[in-house]
Amino acid sequence: MRDPSTVLVRPVQDRLTLAMRASHVLVAIFVALALAFAAIGVAIDDTFYLRLATEALIFSGLALSVDILLGYTGLLSLGQALYFGLGAYVSALVLQRVPSFWAAMAAALVACVIVGALAGLIVYRVRGVYFALVTFGLAQVAAKAVYNTRELGASDGLIGIPVVPVDLGFGTVQSNAPAGFFLITLGVIVVLYLAVAYLFETPFGRVLIALRANERRVPFLGYSPRAARLAAYVLAAVVAGLSGALYPMLRGFVSPELLFFSTSGNAIITVVTGGVGTLAGALYGGVILTVLKSVIGSWTPHHLVVIGLLFMAAVIFLPKGLMGLVRPWIERLLRRTAR
Amino acid sequence: MTKTASVLTGLLAGTALAVSVHAASAADPIKIGVVTPLSGTYTPIGQQVRWGLELATKEVNAAGGVMGRQIELIFEDEEANPSVAVQKAEKLFEVQKVDFLTGTVNSGSTLAVGQTAERAKKLIATTVSFADSITTDKCSPNVFRVNARAGQQSTALAAWVAKQKPKAKVFFLGPDYEMGRSTVATFKKTIEGLGATSVGEVFAPLDSKDYTQYFGQLRQARPEVLYTSVAGNDTVRLLTQMQDFGLAKNLIVVGASGTVTSQNISAIGSAANGFATGSGYSTQIDTPENKKFVEAFKAANKADPDLYGADSYGLIYFFKAAVEKAQSTDTDKLRKAMEGLEWMTPQGKKTMRGGDHQAVQPMYVVQVNDGKFNIVGQVGGDEAIGPDECTRF
Repeated sequence: MRDPSTVLVRPVQDRLTLAMRASHVLVAIFVALALAFAAIGVAIDDTFYLRLATEALIFSGLALSVDILLGYTGLLSLGQALYFGLGAYVSALVLQRVPSFWAAMAAALVACVIVGALAGLIVYRVRGVYFALVTFGLAQVAAKAVYNTRELGASDGLIGIPVVPVDLGFGTVQSNAPAGFFLITLGVIVVLYLAVAYLFETPFGRVLIALRANERRVPFLGYSPRAARLAAYVLAAVVAGLSGALYPMLRGFVSPELLFFSTSGNAIITVVTGGVGTLAGALYGGVILTVLKSVIGSWTPHHLVVIGLLFMAAVIFLPKGLMGLVRPWIERLLRRTAR
Repeated sequence: MTKTASVLTGLLAGTALAVSVHAASAADPIKIGVVTPLSGTYTPIGQQVRWGLELATKEVNAAGGVMGRQIELIFEDEEANPSVAVQKAEKLFEVQKVDFLTGTVNSGSTLAVGQTAERAKKLIATTVSFADSITTDKCSPNVFRVNARAGQQSTALAAWVAKQKPKAKVFFLGPDYEMGRSTVATFKKTIEGLGATSVGEVFAPLDSKDYTQYFGQLRQARPEVLYTSVAGNDTVRLLTQMQDFGLAKNLIVVGASGTVTSQNISAIGSAANGFATGSGYSTQIDTPENKKFVEAFKAANKADPDLYGADSYGLIYFFKAAVEKAQSTDTDKLRKAMEGLEWMTPQGKKTMRGGDHQAVQPMYVVQVNDGKFNIVGQVGGDEAIGPDECTRF
């Protein structure tokens, strides 16, 4: 007896399902590599590289949110740092009062849903270059406001965010334990990935992809492009915010630079290098960019030139990003095994 | 399984070996990490920090080093971004195993790196950041400041103004952002404490093209002194427009230390004449130590030292004196040796106050005349330092 759902959906014939499965395989490889890395890190008693990798994962989360908009809805956001910073500041403010991981994450989630929905009411009306400009403007306004608000530490940011115990139900991990917090961050990012991947396989996800393909036809199919765009925007805000909420736990401070354009810009570079519209590319790209920046930055003060050239090379020679190179290969493999 | 276990044992053995090799021996250099902006807007400041540190290190090493050990500087670019600075600082502490760290420029980076040092149980010093918070309400037992803070600059300037014009009427014009407002507030408090009266204040947006719209207000208030904390090209426009409108006559114009700098002074031209500010350093300080320093600095870098270069140069001698006093680079012993330490710098003798880790030093008032800063006043270290407001340690 075959499971009737497989007969109905016929997953291997559907390009989206196939692509998602290939992404799952890539993320599974990513997680395996991360776990191996953590094991080696623990074995050699490393601190710096584990914490650098944790930071890379946090910025991968931000890149994931950019990919939701850019890769699936076709909207280039130049201001995702707004939600990354919002999550970070909300988390920092909560942690200063209540040192609870879950309270900080919940507060960041609520804040991002509210602010995302409010800002969404402005941005969901526009698309293309206007969307890029409005998101850029909103993030700049927020960054300037934080920069000049003494209660938020103004230009100095907030320091003294305490080390928090993360209660997982079966045990507690301190946020300053290099390997422990790396695994928690990995867990959060993987959960975000799975949630987003699940949503994209629902009809909602297909409306988003339809938006990217041809927005004018979407209403003829009975869907509202604006509602879908608003939902995608809020979803991306939440993903960025929850990633940002992890930042003060790792580094113990937040500063207005987290909301600056350089943060948003790096996330876009990450997605383009990793592969737009692959989700897995955001994770790989985040790690690659963070490691490159760290290594090249120590090697030469002209690191921005080197990163820029590498980015241009990636755009020219790998137009679909790193994942564009490997994913078709995995898709072929999956198709063959399904046959 | 056994294979994995043996690989892990191998890795562990390898690290153990590496650790034993790296255990500090007397001949190993003492490593000082320098996290400073080498790219971006603050590059000129980072450059001065680097030149100052390298010059002093060369001198110390040539004279036999510190306790027989050479000093090695390891530079990392922080891009004037606290997130980058913290990551680089952690790399220097954990991977390079530096004994001490310095170089941070913007106060956000200094505060964030200070916290990283505290968690890594290491010490840092800033030679540039002047935000009062670093050694007052946000002070840290692991952070030292060898340069003068904003309060010291402001006190020295206020003391000079009070001497020129007792009970002066002062007008304030600041850039409209947090730093601009806080510098104005600090100076206002200080000068009012010396008997002056405030006759008005106005905050102009950053990057204002036209300051003439505030001139009516300024003239109506009939001030004797104008205090401003605008910077960069804003200063160029403010001062030249004031000159064009003939407002600079019979008015003492004073400002923050960043208002007129070597970068914008030539663009301001003669409109800068008479502008005075409080500073922790001037190349004109007439002591043998300073003359020797300026000469060596010029010979090495083909450029004049500024405040940041001089303070960074002095830091290496501060570190040397502390290590020799402690006979160790151990954090707790070094901290104890640094508290209350007196050492010689191009600016003269500095004392590290134990209560808040703020250096006490003589302050100078410098005034612009034909594109040059001349020393017109001096305030003793004890007079300019202000109370110890650090309560954490």
